[in-house]
Amino acid sequence: MVKHENFKTCDQSGFCRRNRAYADTASSVSSWDSPYRLDSASIAFKDGKLTGTILKSVANSDHAVRLPVTITFLESGTARVTVDEEKRQKGEIELRHDSKAKKERYNEVEDWVIVGGTQVSKGAAVSKGEAGSTKVVYGPGSKFEAVITHAPFGIEFRRDGEVQIKLNERGLLNMEHWRAKVDKPAEEKKEGEEAVVEEASKEVTEDESTWWEETFGGNTDSKPRGPESVALDITFPGYEHVVGLAEHAGPLSLRQTRGGDDSYTEPYRFYNADVFEYEMDSPMTLYGSIPFMQAVKKDSVVGVFWMNAAETWVDIVKGKTSANPLSLGIGSQTTTQTHWFSESGLLDVFVFLGPTPHDVMKSYSELTGGSQLPAEFSLGAHQCRWNYVTDEDVKDVDRKMDKHRIPYDVIWLDIEYTDGKKYFTWDPDTFPDPLGMQKQLDEHDRKLVAIIDPHIKNEANYWVVDELKSKDLAVHNKDDNIYEGWCWPGSSYWIDAFGANARKWWATLFQYTKFPSSAPNLWLWNDMNEPSVFNGPETTMPKDNLHSGNWEHRDVHNLNGMTLVNATYEGLLARSKEEEKAGGRRPFVLTRSFFAGSQRMGAMWTGDNQAEWSHLKASIPMVLSMGASGFPFAGADIGGFFGNPSKELLTRWYQAGAFYPFSRAHAHIDTRRREPYLAGEPYTGIITQAQRLRYSLLPSWYTAFYHASESGTPVVKPMYFAFPGDEKAFAIDDQFLLGSTGLLAKPVTEEGATSVDIYLSDKEKYFDYFDYTVYSGPGHVTVQAPLDRIPLIMRAGHIFPRRDRPRRSSGLMKFDPFTLVLVLGDSGDAEGDLYLDDGESFEYQDGAYIHRKFHYDAATQSLSSEDLSTPGKKTKAYLKAMEKVRVEKVVIVNAPVSWKSKTEVELAEEGGSASGKRRVPMSWQEEGSGKANWAIVRDPGVGIGKGWSITFD
Amino acid sequence: MRHTGALLCLGAASVAYAASDSPRPRGVGPEFAKFYKDSNAFTCISNPSITLLPSQVNDDYCDCPDGSDEPGTAACAHLSTLSPSTPANVAAHDSVNATIVLPGFYCKNKGHQPSYLHFGNVNDGVCDYELCCDGSDEWEGVGGVKCEDRCKEIGKEWRKMDEARQRSMGNAVKRRKELVTEAGRLRKEVEDRVQTLHTQIQGAEKHVADLERELEDVQRREKGKVVKGNVGEKAGKLGVLVGLARQRIDELKENLIRTKGERNSAKERMEELEAILSTFKEEYNPNFNDEGVKRAVRAWENYVAKDKPTVGDAAHDRDIDEIVKSDEENGINWDEYTGQEEESDVDLLYDFEAYLPVPFRTWLDQKLRDLRIMLVENGILADLSTDSSGSEPKAVAEARNRLSAAQDELKNAQNGLNSHNEDLNKDYGPSDVFRALKDTCISTDSGEYTYELCFMGRTTQKPKKGGGHTNMGSYNRLETIHVDEDLPADGRGLGKGDRIAMKHEGGQHCWNGPNRSTTVVLACAEKEEIWKIVEEEKCVYRMEVGTPAVCGLDGNGSGNGGGDGEAKKSPRDEL
Repeated sequence: MVKHENFKTCDQSGFCRRNRAYADTASSVSSWDSPYRLDSASIAFKDGKLTGTILKSVANSDHAVRLPVTITFLESGTARVTVDEEKRQKGEIELRHDSKAKKERYNEVEDWVIVGGTQVSKGAAVSKGEAGSTKVVYGPGSKFEAVITHAPFGIEFRRDGEVQIKLNERGLLNMEHWRAKVDKPAEEKKEGEEAVVEEASKEVTEDESTWWEETFGGNTDSKPRGPESVALDITFPGYEHVVGLAEHAGPLSLRQTRGGDDSYTEPYRFYNADVFEYEMDSPMTLYGSIPFMQAVKKDSVVGVFWMNAAETWVDIVKGKTSANPLSLGIGSQTTTQTHWFSESGLLDVFVFLGPTPHDVMKSYSELTGGSQLPAEFSLGAHQCRWNYVTDEDVKDVDRKMDKHRIPYDVIWLDIEYTDGKKYFTWDPDTFPDPLGMQKQLDEHDRKLVAIIDPHIKNEANYWVVDELKSKDLAVHNKDDNIYEGWCWPGSSYWIDAFGANARKWWATLFQYTKFPSSAPNLWLWNDMNEPSVFNGPETTMPKDNLHSGNWEHRDVHNLNGMTLVNATYEGLLARSKEEEKAGGRRPFVLTRSFFAGSQRMGAMWTGDNQAEWSHLKASIPMVLSMGASGFPFAGADIGGFFGNPSKELLTRWYQAGAFYPFSRAHAHIDTRRREPYLAGEPYTGIITQAQRLRYSLLPSWYTAFYHASESGTPVVKPMYFAFPGDEKAFAIDDQFLLGSTGLLAKPVTEEGATSVDIYLSDKEKYFDYFDYTVYSGPGHVTVQAPLDRIPLIMRAGHIFPRRDRPRRSSGLMKFDPFTLVLVLGDSGDAEGDLYLDDGESFEYQDGAYIHRKFHYDAATQSLSSEDLSTPGKKTKAYLKAMEKVRVEKVVIVNAPVSWKSKTEVELAEEGGSASGKRRVPMSWQEEGSGKANWAIVRDPGVGIGKGWSITFD
Repeated sequence: MRHTGALLCLGAASVAYAASDSPRPRGVGPEFAKFYKDSNAFTCISNPSITLLPSQVNDDYCDCPDGSDEPGTAACAHLSTLSPSTPANVAAHDSVNATIVLPGFYCKNKGHQPSYLHFGNVNDGVCDYELCCDGSDEWEGVGGVKCEDRCKEIGKEWRKMDEARQRSMGNAVKRRKELVTEAGRLRKEVEDRVQTLHTQIQGAEKHVADLERELEDVQRREKGKVVKGNVGEKAGKLGVLVGLARQRIDELKENLIRTKGERNSAKERMEELEAILSTFKEEYNPNFNDEGVKRAVRAWENYVAKDKPTVGDAAHDRDIDEIVKSDEENGINWDEYTGQEEESDVDLLYDFEAYLPVPFRTWLDQKLRDLRIMLVENGILADLSTDSSGSEPKAVAEARNRLSAAQDELKNAQNGLNSHNEDLNKDYGPSDVFRALKDTCISTDSGEYTYELCFMGRTTQKPKKGGGHTNMGSYNRLETIHVDEDLPADGRGLGKGDRIAMKHEGGQHCWNGPNRSTTVVLACAEKEEIWKIVEEEKCVYRMEVGTPAVCGLDGNGSGNGGGDGEAKKSPRDEL
């Protein structure tokens, strides 16, 4: 059970309470007037940027608070609204308690998050609007408009003239300006006057109880800058669903948080924390934060990204609106209203106007970066446990996986491998020969991933802590001394990876010469990087701790995990001079904590789940939500971290896990051993099949990851993403598609289930992956799912690549031939693609890759392979290395009956002689009884990197 | 290097087929050569209806539903129940027989022993020297891999090892014979002892019967004495009182011994508990913020800080030891008092403490009364007021004592007989062999601990850095378990098959877990040795132990038989 008392509710978080109260006041007062107005005289527009000053009127004061605003219109069609506070900006404030903290609002989030897409729109222009407002036309084809109302300040974003997003429509914009603390003398109350006094004071004063100091769980936050929260309401008119806001354990389509059916009572919270035994279906904060949200309605998806790294909460309310109140539901639509508030920092929000989910994700990933193109091994199976207790244990598991013919790529070490929880060391008793262990793994091209956390043991004669202290690279406390807390090793210090020097130093620790007994096939796992501090408030650091540049921890908390991964990633790029010379290798880093942008550096997992069916079920919306939040390399612990899964649960979890982008089995130290070969038959065999299915589809997975890295598309796509025109599919979060393969999976997550109902959005034909049973939509179809069957169907109109030869690891498949599966409808074309490179280096950036588009043209009944690559200086060498890798088979599912008597097809090859067409055998098979007929082209023998076409006519 | 038995067995097969030595397609073993002889066509082995061109054999494309057309490539490796099957992958048609016949890729391994390798390991860029010392599995050289022929050195090394292994096995079998002989001798000893005990018991029974009769006689006689008159009444009274005192002292002594025993066991338990709590305090995870746990830790800290009561103070213990010595050793001869019938020193009786040895007296003065009260209050000591036997005449008492001594002797003999009978019926394994190993202890270092196994006793974990030993379970029973492990080159491992396992249970309880238990799996070796100790899951241990005691018990004369056809069979996991 999660310990609720360890984590704040909104009511216990001062600014959350204040902003919710603000919202309550705004909605209860009929004539609520937002006290923010844009000074018309201050408005200037230049180079795609509109600047001005918002004036906030303050009760009992003649002086308005000046809030500089910038609205930037980007070439991609994204708009950005940034509001700062002049006094803090200029440092004209006083800090209490002689704090050394910086006076400004934190303005460096973008340095961590934004990596591109910031070219301002050249076409954006102010156009004539109504009085009291300013209209800017921008975006592709100038189809976007931002209408800025001056008083009260607000913005409407329109696409094709239709309002999509409104800022401050409800007047909840709130920038808590700086003020000096006034210590009021305790008023003497006279009898009889009491009521009057209270009545009077209510009108003029606000509730100050949480302005200057907050205490939680025995820790007092000194809040040297007083109240400083930022808040804004964002409305999506006509949008019923909102998705994103990872990471939370709840449905993909986010729930309401105030009022309404199935509503949560707390807002969605972002305050990265080590939540022990977290609960399902909850808006509680978890380990990572991506304050990015998409709103979904039929044929339109828009989005907002709230770029703030401080503690943040989001309230969601949905309301039915009707064009005509008398029409009683006809033409009524649901509007989603959201309310965002952060404890400190800038108000900085990006607005994406779609209209497709691809558009939104592409724009978002231009800004925050595409997800890493991972080293290919990391898409294989990962076998982890807390802990493999000795190097012999690791070698034994490795041998047993081979013995049972179960493919896997990576075995993991949790904290126990270290010498007394000192990272960059090995326990001399239990891991006497780390290099021998890594060597055995390398023989089958396997990897080792070891954990290294940001807490550094405070112990004498430990070189890492000695350097950390002497170079002053650790996080400081509010008094600017080194901060000491408690974590796995006991008393510890935390590396402050916000500092460039600290990151540089950290990166050097991974050099082979520095990290003893580390081999090139060793990669990294950063855990506890929220940071988890066992004795800290909410199991993390005090908010008044100080980071590099004297930023308060409060300002940067949600970025903390990402800074460490950045440093680790840098360290792993090249761990020796030779590697550096060779251009480096793609690092693999798994992180538990993350922020928007973390997708550039590696994988995440959903933390410490439990061996229960409910957690298996919840893992799928969580993984989908990660994809919808731009961080697709995600997975849950297969088997469940805490507790002992039944064999059925373990088997179903491996089957589901074969479809997690990040597929890792993990278990707590107190659980029984559960390596797949221990389960016994039939379970071990079924799990092996699931793993082998994953491996045979690796080319498709890798291609999907390539797309994610290029344009931010999820690797496993939720239904709304694939079918944005089907409203019925928007809330579905237990089935998904793999990239653009047309493979639709719905893993079994119910105990004892023998079938599942899959929802089909369209009229296309679908075929069971394992027996070619035909399904037709739209609507629900029942797919048989006995224990040995993963519900997996293939959508007509797609072509996907496989490698069918079972090997021990992905590295040993490198030169295996491909099978192409062409899934035909009763009419129409089919399409798919394959991306391929060496899977480990950065040479793809110099053209060392193959990217083929496969197209089946129904009219000419021909299948062709076309080049999608952009050649570079290393293209030729790579193609040469892959020369012998061929297409060994083309499988045509639902092959037309007209091919029945065919025994040959005609193949034309690029680079062949003009008359170089050859005949290749083909065979057609009838299946009957509700199953699709199929055909096979036998060994066309064409190089995978070559152009070719096969004519079936 | 592993699967020794299999290699031998295959070797024999190759001889048998040597006669039909015509060039076989790559990867075909001699026993399948006949299927590949026709130079005009190839017929799928399990599907004679499917005929292929000879060029389709080993063309790296899987044509036969049984995979028999690709004996030398990985093209049919996916034909396996372990791989996902789709119609176009496995021709799952009723008419098709997809029974796979080829056991794998045949490595000739000239200079060593031939063997079969999984098809999935062919042409994957890894030289699988363990099974394919000639490197023939990587004939395609994918990714530039070159696997040189290492059979000469590997074969040589293997033969050397094998010789040593054979020698060692020979020794082991010899040693087992010795053990069995020794066990037989030990058994005979017990049986002899049983015989002796039987005789002893018969004698003792007779003796008891005699003494019962004697007691009756004496009682009858003494009754008469009492009736006779009051001669020596005074002395009689003293005698009675001394007798009473003696009895009470005896009882107190007995109770003291028992209480001390109870105290010691309580002390042991307390120490164990304190050790558990101190580990708990060290190892608990403050991250979990569990109020209950935190409270327990605080309470523990307070407890530790408190002054400890002086339990088990050494001087005190010595006093007690002194007290519980026999009275004679303490210089008291009760008979002196009861014997002096003519004396009538009542003062002496009341001052009898003065005659006691110094430690006894002072202790008795200060503590005995308190102790007695405490014992009575706690219901440990019987209320003496009901004891009315105090006035028994000496002769009767003596007779009674003789009887009770004889009864004790009889009881001891019977107990001895029972325990020896039990021992004879106990399962000491086949041929009673473990009898010879009883109380033999072996140990090995692993990580920060030394692990010890005492046969038919307990398993123990001892930290190298010092500190308390942990009981990992006491011997409970023998079981047979199936193992499937690769046999290391030196033969020191479990191998594959059914093995005798000793279950040790009821060890020290694990925080957040079960009572520790150990399964000791035995396999043949030249001498007793612990090969491996693993904590399979929390506090559940498994020891792999070699001993000659189990040699030849798995139906395989030469020990483990770990490689019994394994190499040959293992590729069929795929079938």
